[in-house]
Amino acid sequence: MRWIWIDRFVEFDPGKRAVAVKCVSLAEEHLHDYMPGFPIMPECLIIEAMAQTAGILVGQAGDFRQKVILAKIRRAIFYDLIRPADVIHLEAVMDSYTIEAASTSGTVRRADQVVAHIDLLFSHIDQNLSGIRFPEENFVFGQGPIQALLQTLVCVGPLGQAEDGRS
Amino acid sequence: MRFILIDKVLALEPGRSIKAVKTVSLAEEYLADHFPTFPVLPGVLILGGLIEAASWLVRATERFAHSMVLLEQARNVRYKSFLAPGSQVEYKVDADRIEQDLSSFIGEGTSGGQSIVEARFVLRHFNLADKDPRLAGIDAQVIQALKDRWRLIFTDSH
Amino acid sequence: MPKTGEEIYQTVKEVLVDALGVDEQDVTPKARLMADLGAESIDFLDIVFRLEKAFSIKIAREEIFPGDGFFSDSQLASDGRLTEKGLSLLKKQLPHIDFSEFEKDPRLSRLGDLFTVEAVVRFLEHKLSEGPSAGQP
Repeated sequence: MRWIWIDRFVEFDPGKRAVAVKCVSLAEEHLHDYMPGFPIMPECLIIEAMAQTAGILVGQAGDFRQKVILAKIRRAIFYDLIRPADVIHLEAVMDSYTIEAASTSGTVRRADQVVAHIDLLFSHIDQNLSGIRFPEENFVFGQGPIQALLQTLVCVGPLGQAEDGRS
Repeated sequence: MRFILIDKVLALEPGRSIKAVKTVSLAEEYLADHFPTFPVLPGVLILGGLIEAASWLVRATERFAHSMVLLEQARNVRYKSFLAPGSQVEYKVDADRIEQDLSSFIGEGTSGGQSIVEARFVLRHFNLADKDPRLAGIDAQVIQALKDRWRLIFTDSH
Repeated sequence: MPKTGEEIYQTVKEVLVDALGVDEQDVTPKARLMADLGAESIDFLDIVFRLEKAFSIKIAREEIFPGDGFFSDSQLASDGRLTEKGLSLLKKQLPHIDFSEFEKDPRLSRLGDLFTVEAVVRFLEHKLSEGPSAGQP
């Protein structure tokens, strides 16, 4: 499995708001362990999907120069289960952004139904975490499946809608 | 990758608290992506470990009455440091209350004496058959699978 | 709309309950953010963001609590104590805090005691009284 919990961006308003899509498939291994016999997407991975959506929104606001790390989950509330064949939309909105940190609020929807609210706080770790050692280069947005995801930003036009008409 | 976020239960006080441990191995697949040059256990899996430990406390306390023990909400989850491969994290979860269908907890994770995470969270518990009686068979299946797993990770004599 | 001290205190109370996950009854004027309410570095950023939203003002984190960079600068803090330079910088950044008691024994371990709920309220009273244009984002 790859550590990538969203599939593509469908809306991207730099510095303000992003919407990504995650398709949930029985082919994903982890679904089979959480509640063995009843595959559902674990809530902590729904949080990660939002963290990746919001983290890229925050990262892009700094041209991906900052190492953006999830520092605090302010709150995450879940209203329903997510099952195979579900397609969820994760909307992240930038609330605050400074050189040290950023905060986002987010909503997860399945069609018209709100299934979760997730509010996060990111740290730009070169500005914080003194005393803890980590690499110089930006390991957050460097190699890995995140690169394929960042390519989907290219397909999202200036008005924030997918240019090929998908949404 | 197996979505199993704790390896062993060290101590259990039904209705009150649980202590569990997870060892972090470079062999865990997602570390290759998180991150390629700086492998560390993803924060959400650390929270997941606390949730999993708490859910075992619920299950043991209510004697596996429910199949579904799920996260209803998590608040003030603070990440203090990173967990690198080759380390071990100990999760300690204390129950505020465990009721029939809802329970709330404070959890913390430490490694080598250093604080890694602190979190407050609420779990909800139910059976699928509560809404759809046709799913009673699935409830039984889930409960049995988890009972088998419980025997692996919690032995009375260690 | 001008806010009374009591209104500010109530809002600060709500912010701290949300940000720190403490009970409302724990948030008293003399409660120390770190020792009594469990606030850590990341929480100060969280508190600043929430106060900005609640009061529609812009706050630099250093106006509430020094950043991590402060403590790792040996010119400002060394051997577990604030230097003269560090003390004078904090006095400038945090005019709402009374350092006279602390000055007598400027150990870093005592610094946290100064950051109380009422210090945050005093800071906001001062900031909000500067006028509608002051601190606007």
